[in-house]
Amino acid sequence: MQTRLDSGRRLQERAGYFPVPGAYLYTVLHEVENPAVRVLVAGPFASERHNSYLPLVRWARTLAEENIEVLRYDYRGTGESTGPFEAMTFEHWEEDVRLLSTWFKSRTPHVPLVLHGLGLGAILAGRVFDGGVGEGLLLWSPPANANQAMRTTLMRWVGLEQIFKFGDDRKSASDYIRELEKGSPLQVDGYLWSPGLWRDSLDFTLPAALASEESAKRAYERPVRIFKLNSDAAPLGKGGLVGYDDLRDFTWLFTPNREWVTAVAAQSGKGIAYA
Amino acid sequence: MLESIGKRELIALDGLGLRLQGTYHRPADRFLPGRAGRDRVGVLFVNSLSLPRAASGDSAVHWADSLAELGYPSFRIDLPGLGDSEGEASTNLLDRINAGGFASVTAAVARDLTGRYGLSGVVIFGHCAGCVSAIYAGAGCGECTGLILLDPYFHLPQAKRPRVREELSAWARRSRIGRLLSNSYDSVRNLHLQLRGNGLPGNANSQLLTCWKRVAGAGVPILLLKAPGIKAHGAKPRLGEFDYIDYVVKLAGHKSQVSVEFIECADHSFANREGREAVQRQIERWLVLHVPPAGINFGAKDDWSLRAIDNTSDSREPQAEPAGTGCALEGR
Repeated sequence: MQTRLDSGRRLQERAGYFPVPGAYLYTVLHEVENPAVRVLVAGPFASERHNSYLPLVRWARTLAEENIEVLRYDYRGTGESTGPFEAMTFEHWEEDVRLLSTWFKSRTPHVPLVLHGLGLGAILAGRVFDGGVGEGLLLWSPPANANQAMRTTLMRWVGLEQIFKFGDDRKSASDYIRELEKGSPLQVDGYLWSPGLWRDSLDFTLPAALASEESAKRAYERPVRIFKLNSDAAPLGKGGLVGYDDLRDFTWLFTPNREWVTAVAAQSGKGIAYA
Repeated sequence: MLESIGKRELIALDGLGLRLQGTYHRPADRFLPGRAGRDRVGVLFVNSLSLPRAASGDSAVHWADSLAELGYPSFRIDLPGLGDSEGEASTNLLDRINAGGFASVTAAVARDLTGRYGLSGVVIFGHCAGCVSAIYAGAGCGECTGLILLDPYFHLPQAKRPRVREELSAWARRSRIGRLLSNSYDSVRNLHLQLRGNGLPGNANSQLLTCWKRVAGAGVPILLLKAPGIKAHGAKPRLGEFDYIDYVVKLAGHKSQVSVEFIECADHSFANREGREAVQRQIERWLVLHVPPAGINFGAKDDWSLRAIDNTSDSREPQAEPAGTGCALEGR
C-alpha cells in the first residue's frame, strides 16, 4: 500500500498479520525510510474501531508524510485480527501493545518510539509506557478506567438501538448495565460483552501518574501529552455519525499533535525534560 | 509480519489507478480437486458507507470465512478512500455513492478478481449503501453473476437530517403522546401515498432504479435480505412509506430471479449474532441454488451437502409478500 505525496514520493503501507499467543493481529505499517520517530497507534474499544477508522488512517498518513513511521493494528478478536472476542481480556489487549512495541522498536532501536492511544487504547498505551516502554506517550481522551470506555461505547450503541424502538420497548443504558451486573452477557454492535469483562473493566485503570500532564511530568522523565477530545473531534470523541463526521477535516487536531511527536524525535536522547 | 494465515490472505489490487487493500478468504481445499478454475464463482464484499471492510461487528469477516468454507472464494475489498485503501474519502460520500460513484471501480475490481483468480464471475455483496454500489456495478459488469443485498434503499436520503427533526423523532419514540402523534403523522402520509396512487416518491433514485431494472431484468440472480425497519410491520414498510421492495420486484420483470427474505431477528446492522447467523443461512441456501460452487458433488452426503440441504428445507422462494425498504439512513 502506498500513499501519494505532493512531491511524487510514495510511502509504503504494508498490511500484515502479527502472531501473538493464540491469535494473529492485523497490522498496517506506514513504512518510512530512515524515520525520525515511530508511533504505535492503539485505537479505541471494539465497535469504536469502525467509528474511528478513517480518521486514524488519515492520522497515520499525516505522520508518515512527515517522516514518522506508524504502526496501527486491530485488537485481538476484533476487526481483521483473529481470535474470539468473547475470550479476550484487557490483559490480552495490553499484551498486544507490549508485543507490538517490542517488534516495532526492534526495527531500529535507536529511533524513538511514541505510544499513542485513543479511548481504551490510551489506557493500554499508558500501562505499557508506565512499564518503561517508549520514549513518549500521546493520549487522546484517556478514560480513568476501561469501564468508562465501555460505557462510552454502550451509550453510542444504545442511542442507535433506540432509533428503532418505541416507548416500553426502549431500554436505557442503565437497563443494559444492570443486566451485565446481574451476570448476563450483552451483545453490543455484534461483540459479546461478558459480565466478567465488564467487572474487570472497573479495575483496569490508567496509571495514576497519567491523570494529568503535570503528574506525568513528575513521574516520568519522558514526554507525555494528554489531549482531551471534544465534540469537534467526533466520532473520535463522543458522538458523531459514521459516514459523515469521520470524513471531516481533522487538520486542527493532527497538526499540533504531529508537531508534538516531531518534537519528541528532536529532543529524544538530549535529556530535555518535557512540559 | 505475515501476508497469509490459514485460509486468509491479504491482497492488494493495483492497476485501477489506486492501490486497494483487501482480504481474500481462500475456499476450502475439498472444493477444488480436478476442476477447472473457470467454474468457480467468487463473492465480493464492498464497503457499507464508510465502514471498513470488516463491516459492523466484523460480520463480513464471519460471512466471508463461512462462504469460503462452503467453496466460494470470498474477497473483502476496501473501495478507494475507505478502510486501508488509497484515495481520499469524499466528504459527501453518501451523495457520491447514490450517484454511482463507486460503480466503475467496483466493476473493475470484479473484473480484476475474476481474471486474477480464474473465476467465472463474482457475486457482489452489499449492505445498505454498499447495495447501491453493488447494483450500479452489477448493471455494467459482465463478471457480475449475482447480487446479495442487505437492506438496500432506492431513494435519495438526506445525509443528515435537521437537528430539530432529529429531536422531534427522538421525542416521539420515547413519549406516549409522541407516539400517538407519530402514528397520526404516518396515517396522513399514508393518505397522501394513496391519493397519489402509490406512485414513486419524488426522492426516488431513478438512476439506480434504471440500473436495477437492467441487472435484475437480465435475470441476474439477486438475493435481497430485509431487517425489521422503524415501525415496520414485519416485512412490510412503515405505514405511509412507499413499498420500494414491492416496486423493484415488479420492475425486475418476469425473467428476473429476485428472492426476497425477511430476517426478523436482525437489525439494520445485521451485526447481532442471531441476525448474522440467519443471514449466513440465507446466503448459503441461495448460493447453492443459484451459483453452486465448483467441485461439489451433489450426490455426496458430506457435511457441506447436508448443510445445504438443511438450509434449503424452509425456502420460501419466491416470496409471496416482498419486503419494504427502510434503513438506518431513515433514522438519521
